[in-house]
Parts: sequence; C-alpha cells; structure tokens
Amino acid sequence: MPEAAPILERPRRWDTPFSTDMTEADVDRLLTIAPFCHMKAEKFPARSPLRGILRNDTRILQLRQGEIIMREGDYGTSAFLILSGAARVIQKPGLPKGMLGRKEPVKKGFFQTVAQLWSAGRPPESYPRSLWRGAEGVAARQNDNRDVRIFLQDVPRVLNEHQTDLMRDGEFFGEIAALSRMPRTATIFAEGEGIIELLEIRWQGLRDMRKNDDELKNHIDKIYRKNSLNTYLNKHPLFRHLSEEQINQFSGQIEFATFGDYDWSGDYKRLAQKGTLQPESEPVIVHQGDYPNGVVLVRAGFGRVAQRFGTGERTLNYIGAGAAFGLQEIVHNWRNPTAPVDMQYTLRAIGYSHVLIVPTRVMEQMVLPSLPARELPAPVESAVDLASDLPVVESQEKVSAETLEFLTTNRFFNGTASMVIDLDRCTRCDDCVRACASTHDNNPRFLRNGPTSGRLMVANACMHCADPVCLIGCPTGAIHREQFGGEVSINPVTCIGCSLCHNNCPYEAIRMVDIRDESGAFVVDQDLKPIVKATKCDLCVENRGGPACERACPHGALSRINLNNLDALSRWLKR
Amino acid sequence: MKRFQKQFWLGTLVLVVASVAALLVHRDWHERLPAYAYISGWVLFGFMLLLALFNARKKLPFLPLGRSEQWLQLHIYGGFFTVVLFLIHLNFRLPRGGFEITLAVLFAIVTISGIVGLLLSRALPRRLQTRGGEVVFEKIPAIRHSLRQQAEKLALGGPGGSPIIAEFYVRRLAVFFAEPRNFWLHLQESRGPINRLLADLGDLRRLLSETDAAVLDQIATLTRQKDGLDYHNALQATLKLWLFVHLPFTYGLMLFTVWHIVLVYAFSGGAQ
Repeated sequence: MPEAAPILERPRRWDTPFSTDMTEADVDRLLTIAPFCHMKAEKFPARSPLRGILRNDTRILQLRQGEIIMREGDYGTSAFLILSGAARVIQKPGLPKGMLGRKEPVKKGFFQTVAQLWSAGRPPESYPRSLWRGAEGVAARQNDNRDVRIFLQDVPRVLNEHQTDLMRDGEFFGEIAALSRMPRTATIFAEGEGIIELLEIRWQGLRDMRKNDDELKNHIDKIYRKNSLNTYLNKHPLFRHLSEEQINQFSGQIEFATFGDYDWSGDYKRLAQKGTLQPESEPVIVHQGDYPNGVVLVRAGFGRVAQRFGTGERTLNYIGAGAAFGLQEIVHNWRNPTAPVDMQYTLRAIGYSHVLIVPTRVMEQMVLPSLPARELPAPVESAVDLASDLPVVESQEKVSAETLEFLTTNRFFNGTASMVIDLDRCTRCDDCVRACASTHDNNPRFLRNGPTSGRLMVANACMHCADPVCLIGCPTGAIHREQFGGEVSINPVTCIGCSLCHNNCPYEAIRMVDIRDESGAFVVDQDLKPIVKATKCDLCVENRGGPACERACPHGALSRINLNNLDALSRWLKR
Repeated sequence: MKRFQKQFWLGTLVLVVASVAALLVHRDWHERLPAYAYISGWVLFGFMLLLALFNARKKLPFLPLGRSEQWLQLHIYGGFFTVVLFLIHLNFRLPRGGFEITLAVLFAIVTISGIVGLLLSRALPRRLQTRGGEVVFEKIPAIRHSLRQQAEKLALGGPGGSPIIAEFYVRRLAVFFAEPRNFWLHLQESRGPINRLLADLGDLRRLLSETDAAVLDQIATLTRQKDGLDYHNALQATLKLWLFVHLPFTYGLMLFTVWHIVLVYAFSGGAQ
C-alpha cells in the first residue's frame, strides 16, 4: 500500500528573514522615518506588504566609530540607510589594499622563484609567524551579536590622508551595487560618537520597495542613469556610432530590470545535489512568440537562449554580460515592415540577470540607422518546422548540443578560467596535481575530478567566476578580485576562517584547511581549536609563467579556459 | 591544420631532416676525423642528458621552464633522434663485449619502454571512457571494498537469504570481489570473464523466488560495477607502471654511460 504523501507547509519568501532580531517595535519605528513614512502602504501588494518587507528584508546594524561598512571592490547584495550618526565615504585616494584586507599581487622575483627549490619541503599549509599578524591599520572586534566587525585603527590619519565625504542620517547608499550586482565603488565607514545605526536592506526588499514606491524608484533610477547607465551605453558597441548627446536623448527611455535571484547559488547547490535542476523553472525575460518590444542588453549575470522542442525547451546558447538579445528580430521587422516576425527564441535568467531593454522605437529611429548595413544581423529565415528542421545556431557549430546543455545546466559558463580536461588525452598521471602542490604550500588547490560530458571534464577547481558569489559577505575582504587579471584570490593574512566563501561557492571549489606553523605543528586558538583558513586555486597569480597545472600537463590535456563564450572551448576541443 | 597534427608533422619533418643530416655527416666524416668516436659520443651523451632533463622539469613545476607539453615533444622526437645517434656512435655494428652489450641492452630497454609508453599514453585514455564514469586511481581500493561489502550483505544477508545465492557467492563471487581481477584480459579488451559470470548468474534465476531474483539482479549490477572498476584499475595501472621500467633503466643507462666515458678516457689509446 502506498504511503501517504508527506505534508509540508508551502515554502514562502519570508521563511528565512534577513534578521531574526527585527521586532514589530523596530518596524513601527522605521515607519516614522523617511523615506518609509512617505511610502503608501496601500500601494504594496498583499503578499509583500511594506511592514512585511521592513520586518523580513531589513536589519538594524549598530556600529561604532571607524567600523567599515563596505569596501571598494566588494560584491554585496544590500543597500544601507543611515538611521542615526553618519558614514564617511573615502573618495581619493582609495584605502591601500592592505587596509581593505587584500594584498598586492606581486610576481615572485628570480631569487624567490629559485628559493622554492629548498622551501618546497615544508609541511603542508604552513605559514610563517610573520603572516599571523593580520592586516595593517585595521583590527577586528566582535559586537554583542558576535558579528565580526573590522575597524580603522587611526581614523584621524585616514581623514588627513584621504579625500572623504560625509553622509548623514536619512541618506541611502549601496543601492546600485545591490540592484545591479556591480562591485562597490567606494569604501565607507561609520563616523560619530557612540552607536551609529544603519538599516541594511537586502536586495529583494529594495526591489519590491522600488517597484511600489514611485519616489524611491525615481531616486534609484536617477542615480542609476546618472552614475552608471550613460557610461555603459557610451561603451557598448551597439551605440558606438552615436554621439554622447544622441545617447542622452534616449537613455531616459531605457528600462532596466533584474530577473531571477541574486542568491541563486544556495538554491543551485541544493537542487544540483538533489539532481532536480529544471531549466523550465528559470524566470523568463523574453518569451518565444512575443512581439519584439526591444533589444535586451545583458548587463550582469547570464541568460539561457532556448527554443521550444517537443514538450520542453532545448538550450541553444547562453549569453552573458555585453550580449544583445532580440536584435535580429528587430532588424528583420525594421527592414520588412510588411512581414514582421515574433521573437524566435526564449531568454531565461540563469540564476539572475540584470538587463537593460532598449525599446524598439529607439532602435528603429536612432540606433539601427547609425549602424553600417554589414554589421546588422541577417533577416530571420522563414518560419521553420521546429520538430523536424531545427535551425543550426552559431553555438552548435562550436560545441555539440550535449556539451552546451552540460555547460549550462552545471552553470560552468560562469567560469573565466575553468579547468577543463580532455579525457581523450589525459593519462591520469597527476602531474598537474603535483605541480599545484609544489607551488602552493604542498597542498593541491584542486581535485582532478569533476562532472564530465563526453571527453570533456570540468575539474573541481576555482573557475574565477564572472559572478563571484564567494566574495559576498566576506567580513574582512580577504577574498577579493585582483584589479588587473580579475583572478579571485584569498589573502591568508586577513582570512579569519569563517567559511562564508566556502559555503557560498556553488561549485565547492574553496576548502577550509587547518594551518600549521613552520615546524609543522597545527596552530590552535586559546580553546585549543585549530585555526582554519580558506584556500583555493589562485591561478598561480604570483608565479611566473602562468598556472602551474596547465604548464605541467605533458599531453596538453589540461587548460584554463574562459567558458563565458564558447570560442575558446571550441578551439581547444578541435585542436 | 589542427594543432596536434601540425605538431606531429613538424616534429616528424625536423626529425627526418636532422637524421638525414647526421647520417650524411657520419658518411663523410667518420673515417676522416680521428676523434670522430669522441665527438659522436659526446653529442649522444648530450642528447641523453637533454632527454633526462624532462624528468627534472617535471620535478620543478614552479620554475618558469616552459610548458611540459613542449618538453614532451622534445623528449619524443629527441628520443628518436638519439636512437639514430646511438647507431651512428656504434657505426652500425653490433656491440661487442660484456660492457658494450649491457650498455646497448639498457639503451634498447629505455627506448622500447619509451615507445610503448607513448603508444599507451595515446591509446588507453580513450578506452578509459568506454566503461562510463571516471575513477580516481587512488580511490579504487576503497570503492572495491565498498562494492564487496554491499555484495556480501546482499548474498550472505542472514537467515532469510537465499542459500543458492550464498553458495554461488562463496564459490564464484567472493574471489571476484576480493581483489582486482582479469588484469591482462582487460588490457586486451576482453569481456569474456564478465559475460561468463553474468551468464552463470542469469542461470540461477530459474531456481529463485521473485524476491531472491531481485536480490540477484542487484548483485549482477554490483558485479558489472566491479568489472568496470577492474577495467579502470588495469588501464590506469598500466599507464603508471610503464614508467617504473622506463625511469629506473634510464638511471641505470646514465650510470653505465658515465662509467663508459670514464673507461674510454682511462684507456683512450685503445679507444682511438
């Protein structure tokens, strides 16, 4: 006899609030403060009322003088409102990397390189005592909630040496980075005597408030258009034949929106472990068959281009930042007004996508006439019988449909330096693993194992993601993106072993290791618990010659490849 | 042309040109030049050292010494050229005397093991994918142990289990699950042993109840998995083992070569 199905209350958005410390009294207090006191509660839908947003999507932070709120280059998914006290923005010059918890990537010199000949025999993950002192100019302390807070030790000196701006209570900051998943553009720290109160609003709450409150929407849109949009449009190849003045004329008509969920990594990890990833559940940005309303420019995140196939959808390509979707249909309709076509493909957000939508009218009146005819895409072919005559798209000429599905389902397109192994040539000699260990404290920073598709294996190594979710929330800034190469690195000096990056990484490429001193003894704290640090592949950023794993493969079976686009992979597979 | 093809044809072209040049030099100079044996010997030793340096490159991955892939290409084509130099140094005659023969045998073993290793390195990786799944060599004993435990639990599960399955397990499968099996047959791509075992397992079905037949099916699945594991074990071990011939004999060859040089200079009058 079949067992009765287990009954579970349907999961809802606020099952996991941003903070469990928020009380009704806190919400009442917030509703008396601008901008919330001006918001009309009746404009908010019943499923996400304003009170609910404030209760579940915000939290009150209590900081003290000098405590860092955000660092330049950090990735964050929340915005801040100053409730009491002030915050100071460091403008020019920015704080030195050491104070931000990071380190300057310095290539090893000749003697340091040669010295590895005799230092290679050290115990694994052993750090000299000189590296235990932490970052210079900052220190860590725990608040009453046991949250680690990093503070500037000498605020007057920072004020003397850097140009700063003061923000007072009632001011918002961090909203653009939160809504568009861009790195923070400045370092901000708390300023004032006693306790400084900030309201931290996670991006979901900010998104809903923006949607339902015109004033907040106008405020955010104004900042976005002023600080971010025009600069982006001026650099985009689609608008390169237009003057800044022409772009300004239509930039106000461009819409921007975020689809999906910034916190996709947690869901992805859970679903991948269960094996229940369903492309059809991804949010639709544009649906196949829709009227082409505008060109979709992907600003951040990724989209899956799919087409109806049988009862489901087949992935034809994935697109990332900088890509334009729907251009072909709009060009077709512009040239053939008597025989218009609908959108030929569906675009879905994979994880999340932050997109700009350039309306068709703007495209037809200003953008398309400015582009040389040879740069415009070919007209859409006459309608095809999808069941029997699927058009060959560019991506399928590069890699097989199965490989494309594999890369998309596993979200490997996120990797800018993914470790790919050609199983047709790999002799499993592990020279790559030994090379990595020799180069990194005698402990390899990857596993020569991972998901496979045909002869392609994507090994379990840091992919140096285009969307590095591991960077979100690092309390000390130890994990960061290198300014020039874009590699994601961890500064062992400032890593406090909190495991946040390890838990965030959807690809499980970050490992926590017990560290040792130079004699090989494990380092422990006062409670005799081992001190741990996060480690991962750093792409041998300090070594001359590039990644040791790639250089060590005698059979040319291993490569570090940017999977954001398929060109490099296609060339490598067909080499 | 694809990169690997280009690499192959370029390497072959350079090898042929270098070999022909070396043979022409040998033809024209080996009787005219009084110290010819010394020169050809030192050139040969130089190339042998160059080939041996590949192993040193592997041990020093942190030094910017170029890509291992380029070193291997140099090692392969340089190795073939060294064979030509060796024959030139021998003046295309058979070695004489115990020492010379030992040296020549060592050289032959190193050369042949290198060629075998090259062929294995090109052929076996493709075959490793034919049985599905990817197994890390070092994890094979642990996986084998787990399969064995699962099979034992199913076959010898306790008083409610089938005595027919238990008897078959003890008689035929216990040995199969206990250790790696059919090493050579797997290398020959033979599926004979697993097909026989599965056929015998299938024959048991008519003697079993429906419940016991289901258990038998699970054991058959584990048997297939163990066979796949043995296949990986055989091929991956072979990919590693050839180096255990190539490397020690290389060290032996280098030692004998140095000793040969010492002897030549000690008795240089005779050598000239």
